[in-house]
Amino acid sequence: MLTRGFHLADNTQTEFKPPKGVSLWQDGFRRLFRRPIAVICFAVIIFYFALAAFIYLAEIFHWQIGFTLWSQATGPSYQPPCRENIFGTDIFGFSVFRRMLYGAKTSITVALCASIISIGIGVPLGAVAGYFRGIVDEIIVWAYSTLSSIPYILLIMAFAVVLHDKTIAGFKLSGITSVYLAIGLTSWVDLCRLIRGETIKHKEREYILAAQSYGCTNSRIIFKHLLPNVFHIVIIIFSLQFVSFIHAEIILSFLGLGEADKPSWGAMINDARIELARGVWWQMVAATVAVFVISLALNVFGDALRDSLDPKLRVR
Amino acid sequence: MAAYIIRRLLYTIPIVFGVLLLTFILFTVVGGDISFEIAGKNATPETIREIREEYGFNKPLFLAWDSQFVRHFKDALTFNFGRALDREPVLDKIKRGVIPSLSLTVPIFFGEVVISVAIALFVAFLRGTVWDIVAVVLCVAGMSIPYLSFILFGQYFLAYKWGFFPVFFSPELSIPQYVALPVIIGIVTGLGSNVRFYRTVMLDEMRADYVRTAFAKGLDARRVLFRHVLKNAMIPILTTIVLAIPFLFLGSLLLERFFGIPGIGYLMVEAIGARDYFVINAMTYISAILFVIFNLITDICYALVDPRISLG
Amino acid sequence: MPEIDTLLSVENLSTHFFTQQGVVRAVQDVSFSVKKSRTFAVVGESGCGKSITALSIMRLVPEPQGKIVAGKINFGGRNLLDLSKKRMRAIRGNRIAMIFQEPMTSLNPVFTVGYQIEEAIRLHQHKSKSDARDLAIQALQQVRISDPKQRIKEYPHQMSGGMRQRVMIAMAISCKPELLIADEPTTALDVTIQAQILDLLDQLQKQSQMSVLLITHNLGIVAERAQDVAVMYASRIAELSDCKSLFDNPLHPYTQGLLKSLPRLGFTGKRLYTIPGIVPEPLRFPAGCKFHPRCPVGCNDKRCQTVEPQLRSLDNGRAVACWFAPGYERPDNPK
Repeated sequence: MLTRGFHLADNTQTEFKPPKGVSLWQDGFRRLFRRPIAVICFAVIIFYFALAAFIYLAEIFHWQIGFTLWSQATGPSYQPPCRENIFGTDIFGFSVFRRMLYGAKTSITVALCASIISIGIGVPLGAVAGYFRGIVDEIIVWAYSTLSSIPYILLIMAFAVVLHDKTIAGFKLSGITSVYLAIGLTSWVDLCRLIRGETIKHKEREYILAAQSYGCTNSRIIFKHLLPNVFHIVIIIFSLQFVSFIHAEIILSFLGLGEADKPSWGAMINDARIELARGVWWQMVAATVAVFVISLALNVFGDALRDSLDPKLRVR
Repeated sequence: MAAYIIRRLLYTIPIVFGVLLLTFILFTVVGGDISFEIAGKNATPETIREIREEYGFNKPLFLAWDSQFVRHFKDALTFNFGRALDREPVLDKIKRGVIPSLSLTVPIFFGEVVISVAIALFVAFLRGTVWDIVAVVLCVAGMSIPYLSFILFGQYFLAYKWGFFPVFFSPELSIPQYVALPVIIGIVTGLGSNVRFYRTVMLDEMRADYVRTAFAKGLDARRVLFRHVLKNAMIPILTTIVLAIPFLFLGSLLLERFFGIPGIGYLMVEAIGARDYFVINAMTYISAILFVIFNLITDICYALVDPRISLG
Repeated sequence: MPEIDTLLSVENLSTHFFTQQGVVRAVQDVSFSVKKSRTFAVVGESGCGKSITALSIMRLVPEPQGKIVAGKINFGGRNLLDLSKKRMRAIRGNRIAMIFQEPMTSLNPVFTVGYQIEEAIRLHQHKSKSDARDLAIQALQQVRISDPKQRIKEYPHQMSGGMRQRVMIAMAISCKPELLIADEPTTALDVTIQAQILDLLDQLQKQSQMSVLLITHNLGIVAERAQDVAVMYASRIAELSDCKSLFDNPLHPYTQGLLKSLPRLGFTGKRLYTIPGIVPEPLRFPAGCKFHPRCPVGCNDKRCQTVEPQLRSLDNGRAVACWFAPGYERPDNPK
């Protein structure tokens, strides 16, 4: 009979098994890829990247594969879409389809390089500013406040104009290099701000104090303990910024600040300005569709990513 | 409150200095000596020397009382922007472009704010229903279409093909006439990201604890949304709205370019094409100053609306 | 068996949440009654479903995912679950009021305290602005806030935690409700303030004869302040009793484990007792009795492992859900 003061049986532990631990990352990615729409978008993104990589390699190694040869006339000038040329031809008779594919390489390359620069500046500066505070923080905050005082488009254009065809340390900057330098050097601000904010929040937490108490050096704390905890922000911002970088490249190419001789979606739209008056719509549509698909995929994927990695939205 | 304003004002000084430093480095240090561009082709060495003398390119960059940086600094503070590459005073160019630009961007601004907030409120009210999903899908799709495509399609179909609007600016047209289509396009392109952002802000607020308390008091959904949630949601929304104002002056670069509207944006695009550093420099500086001013105004508005800041 | 002095009776309430991972059965088959002018406590660990039970009574369960799937909530002769939304709103804040755990976030930061109290008054009692203001000042006085005329104009962030909770209480009692549901009202406050707030609730109860449904995880509070108590575990009620009997003679092994875990003065043993194992996740409830994996008595019993014991009334007015509880296996049917 049950009364107060009974004794605990010793074999109750045998039934009980503690659950396996799941890290935030594993859990987040698992949940992410359980959603079919996220998987589709991811597939689209991988496809674009693979395409870009393939074209890039084809260019370097001079492979002569059909659809990479954008400067080969495949039909008469301004041929509308037909069986030989799915998207028709441009003024030189080049296949618009092939130009569109090459444009993917341009856009992805630019966005990727710009992202690397932007992350490479933003994350370390943000972490350092948030961790060390004091005068270092003041300077970094002043730096990015200054940059963010100038409207983004204007800033990018100013950088692109100045860097265009410049020679730095004996190195001539190609058109496309100036584009991604311009974008990368101006877009690190948001990331820096967020990382700094998160670093400040995390710095107050006990695990940092614990690490300091057993003699961890500052750099070790930042790299091994702090950054992994704020890294999800980097991933999310990366996926969201990628879209705006692609759009920025388009605008810059459109204004003639990109690489004039190689195709890019922006250049295609620029051509379309005159072409539309002549009833030639296919280059415009091709470029728009190409951008639309990758932007949509990145936007949706970025959202899904954010939902999965946000600890607050987890069930229980 | 006064202390807060003064502190904020003081903070603008290093920012302005930073902007001047940035423009200087960009246009003079990295940009380099543009005497050749100014002189044009077939310039004799004497012309080059004269130009360098006039613009001070022969002076040291930083470390002298009459160094280029000091000159840059002084010029900016006195709003002396010199002459553009075509020798017209930059300030004149800017003055000419202000009215057309504002007549384009002010309607876009107000139209966008009103429509986006209204749609976002509507969608937040109907959250979870079909309309909500449709709206989100439309917004994301809208955000994924390049700005240029919107303009081109709009111009092509609505003006060129179907003739509802004039295709280009021409001096005989009255302001409403040539501004109508660009304004519509401008509003529509901006809706996507704005509605999404406002919707997110409102939905986040709706998850707050005080909403649960409001319902527990017996309030109905309408009152909770339009009184309790809206007032809190307006704080971040207001911030973004006021901060968007300086961009008005920049004119919508691309819209002006496409429709040939002779505003400040068009000026900028031309300057970029001509690599006219003087104009670009002036524009960058002006927009930065405007931004700083409006940032300050935003912070003050913020303090007025959110009691936690002014009294806390 | 509805008695004359029963204010609220909950019968077989079940509330489920429909999530992507599956159905979370947060509250299952919960039944209890709150009598007039008494304090009824619902006690249990985090996640046992006590807060959701309270929200279900108010019909404030978060909508798309959460749904009350079964049961009745009888109040004032009507089943609350049958009422139209409009009528339910007339009851909320008026005849049944609720206060929450976090007073800082539960008050709207951009409205004055006075406005928030007056809002409830004007909504339910249709008073003019000035009348409502006077009533609000009165409410603040009742909750022992000094200088109420000045405090009326203040904002939540200008007040301390204890004061904000008083404001929440003032807001709740401003329309003189018959039942006050208090969801962990003192958990977020300092211990000394806790005592003050609980004293205040006691006083208000005596003054207005209102009943209090107190949700808490703190057994100490239950012992001091409540007359009746329901112990919840993993979405179900394990034991239902008046307080004195519960603490003198707990019937359910879970309750016994809880009481055994409390540190006592004069304890000279080596280790404090803890109930082994952890609370199960709602998506992975064990079969049979939900407590059996941790139960010293039932962990190896076939019936406990396979058949869930329902809550059954015993002779002495108590109820318990355990196969091994004395008096549980009566020839007459449950409940």
